[in-house]
Amino acid sequence: MTVSIPPQGLIVDLITPLRNDRTLDGRGLGRLLDYLLPRVDGLLVASPNAGEGTYLDSARRLELFEMALVVVRGRLPLLVWITQGTEEGTTETLLRLSKALERRRSYGGPVFWVDTPLYYHSNRGLPALYRDMCRMVDEPLILYNDPGLIKGLAKPMKRRDIRTAILKELVQLKQIVGLIFLGTLDRAHNYQRACRERKGFSIYDGDESHFLDHPSRSGVVSAGANAAPEAWKKITGSSLPTAAAPKSDPEYLQRVWDMGKYVQDLKDVYGPMPAPVIKEILAARGLIETATCAYPIEDTSAAKQKAAAWMARYDPEFTPTAPS
Amino acid sequence: MIIEQAKEVLKIEAQGILSLVDRVGPEFEKVVELVLAAKGRVILTGMGKSGLIARKIASTLNSTGTPSQFLHPAEAIHGDLGMVTRSDIVFAISNSGRTSEINTILPMLRKIGAKIIGFTGGIDSPMAQSCDVVLDVSVEREACPLGMAPTASTTAALAMGDALAVALINRRRFNQDDFRKFHPGGSLGERLSVRVKEVMLTGARVPMVPLGSTARRAIEEIDKKKIGATLVTEADYTLAGIISDGDLRRALLRREHIHRMGVEDIMSASPKTIDQNKTAAEALALMETYGITHLAIVDANHRVEGIVHLHDLLGRKDFRLDDGLNSTARTHR
Repeated sequence: MTVSIPPQGLIVDLITPLRNDRTLDGRGLGRLLDYLLPRVDGLLVASPNAGEGTYLDSARRLELFEMALVVVRGRLPLLVWITQGTEEGTTETLLRLSKALERRRSYGGPVFWVDTPLYYHSNRGLPALYRDMCRMVDEPLILYNDPGLIKGLAKPMKRRDIRTAILKELVQLKQIVGLIFLGTLDRAHNYQRACRERKGFSIYDGDESHFLDHPSRSGVVSAGANAAPEAWKKITGSSLPTAAAPKSDPEYLQRVWDMGKYVQDLKDVYGPMPAPVIKEILAARGLIETATCAYPIEDTSAAKQKAAAWMARYDPEFTPTAPS
Repeated sequence: MIIEQAKEVLKIEAQGILSLVDRVGPEFEKVVELVLAAKGRVILTGMGKSGLIARKIASTLNSTGTPSQFLHPAEAIHGDLGMVTRSDIVFAISNSGRTSEINTILPMLRKIGAKIIGFTGGIDSPMAQSCDVVLDVSVEREACPLGMAPTASTTAALAMGDALAVALINRRRFNQDDFRKFHPGGSLGERLSVRVKEVMLTGARVPMVPLGSTARRAIEEIDKKKIGATLVTEADYTLAGIISDGDLRRALLRREHIHRMGVEDIMSASPKTIDQNKTAAEALALMETYGITHLAIVDANHRVEGIVHLHDLLGRKDFRLDDGLNSTARTHR
């Protein structure tokens, strides 16, 4: 088994385009991916944040994944959130997706399975769980630590974060290659210490604000990049250690500063629930058919107003234009 | 909010340095050996803030006995490259390893024949591939919003430079004379290079009791002179022993009635002594070797001339010389 190197830089937390009847908008997904692919370093599909993954059952995730495989054609690393409400559900989803990938042997691109273990399992016994998972599939795994998501569960686990000592054990498994991190920076420091001995292990900022304030070297998983990939790409490019940007050039720095304000304003607009507002923006640009979300929203006018206000606020040169 | 942000930045920078600890390995040793074996100088180069770090490391290396010089990469291609010889070691500092000015001069440096050491966070970068040895100074996170200025990464490079300088000092057994030579104005070098006679207590300030005295008298003397010990002497002031706070403590722990005892029952015989013409650094080394804080100063006949305490050597405020180093032994309050 050869473990793919996890991507570095900007990973877009892809929204899940839906039609009014909440079936997948395949053509919208195609247009959106064609638009995003040249501008990002990786794609996270069906995430619990912008991807509304918690509302997508195993079958819909499979459908979304297969569509993404067709459009991406191995050009970018593809990250897929596999977590369901139970260990059995998660395992079943993982196996279904893995089989779908196996059927497309010609795909060729790197695929990573992303899992939020505390969504269905306590810290106790996680290493054993992942040893089993690693035996089930060949593809590498990326952990997803999101205390906010766990807090929102009807019966949340006692702990909302993966324990640092457990993480230290998990990173011994070569098939686990990274972690998408949401939480406090103090915990991020502890996690970094826990993973220090594992070379090439990536810790991505799952919280865009963290990345904007104190950029990490692996990169960011960004919901805002659906709507503002150019700006996010510039910011990520400026922040990563691989950047050879002219950081002493005042004009360049001003541009990065303006871009930072632009994406921060976008983040302030969509807040903790990015899908409705971002979908409104993308629908207004004609990239996706509708702004329909996977979960019921009684009044969409607020999201519409926020999206319109943000789009009207900025100089058109900043607003990336959709391809015709 | 501001205080929290400041704390956050400090934590990130501290983490950046801590993360280097595990990465110090055989490459670091190789760099130290290369520098020690080099017949030329150490040349440091870097652009922007990395250039400033390179300048600081060059300064630290110069201060600690490794001849070093800064080479501006942009000036290098306009003639300054002439300063580099094949016997030199070049340290190139770039967080990304993609700084074009650096990567432009590396092939020329290689042609000259100088060894090239890279300080970089981009271990797969073009710069890293052009170096003989690469020290990984990558950090997990920068402290500056939007990565507009390198922060934790430059701190890490600076710390690695200090680690190198200290390792070189130790390998060369850099001593206090060298320190004095390179830091004529430095307060630590100055302090350690003074003679013991310039900082020792003399005359009535020396805590001293004659043999045959009671332990009570010794305690009173220790209390009065306030340096935590008293010397014990023969009638002609020949040194016989020393009683420190530690000796008293140990006697008490033995549940002995020390008030009824004589000083000879408590004292440490054969106390450590030093000649008054030795340097403070030598006195300090002696104290460190034996784990003590006092040294008696005696003449050729082993007669007491004074006493010196660790704090005198390090410049305790109470004992600080007010009238410069040329004064004789200072008074003790």
